[in-house]
Amino acid sequence: MPTLIIDNQTVTVPEGTNVLEAAKRLGIEIPHFCHHEALGSVGACRLCAVEFREGPVKGIQMSCMVPAKDGMVVDTGSAEVLAYRAQVIEWLMTNHPHDCPVCDEGGECQLQDMTVAGGHGIRRYTGPKRTYQNQNLGPFIAHEMNRCIQCYRCVRTYQDYCGGTDFGVLGSRQRLYFGRFSDGPLESPFAGNLIDVCPTGVLTDKTYRFKSRIWDLQEAPSICPHCSLGCAVTPGARYRQLQRRRARTNNRTNGHFICDRGRFGYGYANHPDRPRYPLLGHRRVTWQEALAALQNKLQELGELFGPGSIGLLTSSRATLETQFLTKRWAAALGSDQLCFEAHPGRDLGARVAASQRLDRTASLEDVRNCDLAVLIGADPLSEAPMLALALRQAARRGARIVVVDPRPVELPLAYERHAVSVEKLGQLLRGLSRPQQSEFPSSMEELGGSLASALLAAKSPLLIGGTDLLGPQGTEAMQQAAEACSQPETPCRTMFLLAGPNSFGGALLSAEGPCFSSLLEGMEQGRIKALLCFEADPLADYPDRKRSRAALARLDMLAVFDCAATATLQEADLFFPTTAVEESTGTLINNEGRMQAFEQVFSAGTPLAESAGGSHPPRFFSRDIPGSEPQSAWGILGALMGRSADLLTLRSEIEKNDHRFAGLSQLEARGEGRRIAAPRQYSLSHQPNISGIMGSDQLQLLVTETLYGSELLSNLSSCLHESTPSAFVMLHPQDAARFKLEEGKKVLLGTPVGDLTLTLRIAGDMVPGMAIVPRLRGTVLEPLVPGTEPLPCRIEKA
Amino acid sequence: MSLWRDIRGTILPFWVTLRYLFRRPVTVCYPERKQTPAPRYRGRLVLTRDPDGEERCVACHLCSAACPVDCISMQAAEREDGRRHAAWFRINFSRCIFCGLCTEACPTLALQMTSEYELASRELLQVIYEKDELLIDGCGKNDGYNFYRLAGIGVAAPRGSNPGETPPVDFRSNLP
Ligand code: SF4
Ligand code: SF4
Ligand code: SF4
Ligand code: SF4
Ligand code: FES
Repeated sequence: MPTLIIDNQTVTVPEGTNVLEAAKRLGIEIPHFCHHEALGSVGACRLCAVEFREGPVKGIQMSCMVPAKDGMVVDTGSAEVLAYRAQVIEWLMTNHPHDCPVCDEGGECQLQDMTVAGGHGIRRYTGPKRTYQNQNLGPFIAHEMNRCIQCYRCVRTYQDYCGGTDFGVLGSRQRLYFGRFSDGPLESPFAGNLIDVCPTGVLTDKTYRFKSRIWDLQEAPSICPHCSLGCAVTPGARYRQLQRRRARTNNRTNGHFICDRGRFGYGYANHPDRPRYPLLGHRRVTWQEALAALQNKLQELGELFGPGSIGLLTSSRATLETQFLTKRWAAALGSDQLCFEAHPGRDLGARVAASQRLDRTASLEDVRNCDLAVLIGADPLSEAPMLALALRQAARRGARIVVVDPRPVELPLAYERHAVSVEKLGQLLRGLSRPQQSEFPSSMEELGGSLASALLAAKSPLLIGGTDLLGPQGTEAMQQAAEACSQPETPCRTMFLLAGPNSFGGALLSAEGPCFSSLLEGMEQGRIKALLCFEADPLADYPDRKRSRAALARLDMLAVFDCAATATLQEADLFFPTTAVEESTGTLINNEGRMQAFEQVFSAGTPLAESAGGSHPPRFFSRDIPGSEPQSAWGILGALMGRSADLLTLRSEIEKNDHRFAGLSQLEARGEGRRIAAPRQYSLSHQPNISGIMGSDQLQLLVTETLYGSELLSNLSSCLHESTPSAFVMLHPQDAARFKLEEGKKVLLGTPVGDLTLTLRIAGDMVPGMAIVPRLRGTVLEPLVPGTEPLPCRIEKA
Repeated sequence: MSLWRDIRGTILPFWVTLRYLFRRPVTVCYPERKQTPAPRYRGRLVLTRDPDGEERCVACHLCSAACPVDCISMQAAEREDGRRHAAWFRINFSRCIFCGLCTEACPTLALQMTSEYELASRELLQVIYEKDELLIDGCGKNDGYNFYRLAGIGVAAPRGSNPGETPPVDFRSNLP
């Protein structure tokens, strides 16, 4: 722990910290470009010069390249240093264009800041400036190469950190070019991070192009709602329009980066079809009317059929506050028909996952630091994209990454790949939970045995599972496997990928409650007369859409509280608009049990761009804000129960009521979040394994998530549509040959939801005997929901 | 002593009044007769055009950021050829204090002050000016300046063909 003096202040830092970071600890910001906390130092920009007066090195040195040592005396602002930096800035500016007014980085540009800080104002160089042609880098990123200062941050991010291969540095000397070899969309699903890391306006957000300046944006710390990892983000809104999302730093979860689904999936909040006012039938009504209609109907049903005739449903999209109040309200109504997820498999999977011991649960930080990660039935890029980036960082430090999956899993890193069928995944896990007895099925002996010994030998081993593919039993088996493969000093941790941003919260609150199948049964038998859906879409999320549609049609009343135009909303008798994540406050619990609070970014309302039709704002005075009727779901619930709508009181109540949420009321949106205090009580009641035995040439159909197109909210973001694939089915080459099918041709897939015409893709690295389709909303594949046992199917030429 | 001062203090004002009775008045009969303000008078703002006749304003938000009373608002948009311009631009002259900070901030010399000062109105909305009312047909006080010819963006002329620019580099070449 070296101790050094920087600007007359003494600081002690861990071994290996460089002087630039040591100074930061004292609150001294040394100007810099090429150093980045996540990328490290390269000493390229020469801006971070400081003067070393005493100690092992002397004179002017780059503070990012010198590790702090005992006895150093550093001056960050001596006259010589300031003159040096002013020179560097002047050099950097010789070719920089005069275009800040039309540059989207303006106002948040490190080059602007450093130029001002460096004291460079008047240009002395009068020679000609270098120019470049720009490239079209796809729908997400705008390119303006003239502004580049050759700091290499983009290349280090794209290639080293994110593992992308199609963007890099080209050319030589004065002609360095940061781009692709030819025009085309950037391939990496993490390309959006270039926007954050480029310190100038070369790489900016195309979806935010010319929309605002940072000083006009409303921003607040928030959480990404598009998968169960809960990455930290900073959304920005202006004129009632959500205009962008940036990555926020949380070293326990996402670190400094986010994925493109999270960055560009914000469009759902501005969607032109978003329902913004209460509906009775399909008629627009006031809040009072709608609430009165709801209360009357509930009272009537309660009196006629008893409280058990009212079913309540929330989802993994709902905040902890909403879920808690739903539970409270169910209790107040006297109904026990309460469920926290419309997909029974995902519900039970999350309940099992949430019962894992906390010291065995891995965060993304643990993933980045592991030395062996075995992914069984988990496809990070589709189910939790930032996990892929965390795994890459582990692999860069030398970790071994093993993927065991029936699907062709792609990762931006070098890894071992084993194509194993769904049934065998379970057998493998059960074998791993008794590693000494090596009870693996014959075909898995080698793999199982080697994995078990590797897990036992590794320093920080990790098992990662997708609850969709593993199911509740598989999830449980993985927990047992982790237990069995743990040594006292080297525990084997697990990470489970769940369905949504608050699956974990629902799993904690659901206790022994029913799952949605039994609610459906109640509706079919006519016991349940009313269903209240809080940010839940049972029609689209229950795997058997025919069944859920028929059951919902039998209801006397279907009330929906949501912020998106879901399938269930089309059938609703009563609708209440709720706020998007960015429009309210709340708490989400991510897949490792981390409670994360988020703050309100802006108030709900129809975007000015939409309500003014592209023209100037209206020329009349009014207090009414168009489209401002949505209210937070927990606020509505509070009103229905006649309680005060104060978040802090609510959080204290949740905390007092349930010790697992200890610390909730002190949670700060800016912080790192807080793990729950205790896992769920373990409770999986063993259900019979329902996988039917299929004939050997019977093809099995597996439905999986995809990066874009599967998740409800991000799929409403129009800027992602260009990157969303059109409906396809994947087959192993053997099967394609068996059925005489060709790549790229149309095929007819016979499924339980009907015959679908799809384009065939052939993938050599999947298991034979299986057809894989992605869940793609808005296509013929929409009724197929992941997270179920493989379905029977047949395939033929279209 | 003080008596003498009191007498003087009583008579002097009458004397001044008497003198001014025979001078020409400095006030004019406004609005029948109008004053011509000085050329640098800070009156109503206008948006000017560049020498090519295109809108100068690039909707950069600098004027609205500089304005101490927040009376400028706008939305930027992109034209087909890549030119950034204001989709709408509004100045609320009922709030404007005519300090001129916006014009100092304007990097394209689009926003300029004129000598127009007759802005009083009983109708508040009449002093809220939209872009079509602000935009004039000339360059105003700076007739030579064209931001897009100096910005390297390739909007007014192709990249690398404006004064002080080298042609776009060929990054595929490794020749010196
Ligand atoms: S494009 Fe941006 S990040 Fe990349 S070298 Fe240029 S200035 Fe640096
Ligand atoms: S990994 Fe998940 S939580 Fe993180 S940014 Fe992507 S979609 Fe959002
Ligand atoms: S003159 Fe001053 S008050 Fe008026 S718009 Fe300009 S900056 Fe604002
Ligand atoms: S500062 Fe000038 S160019 Fe920028 S928005 Fe204002 S008027 Fe337009
Ligand atoms: S930050 Fe140290 S040289 Fe760039």
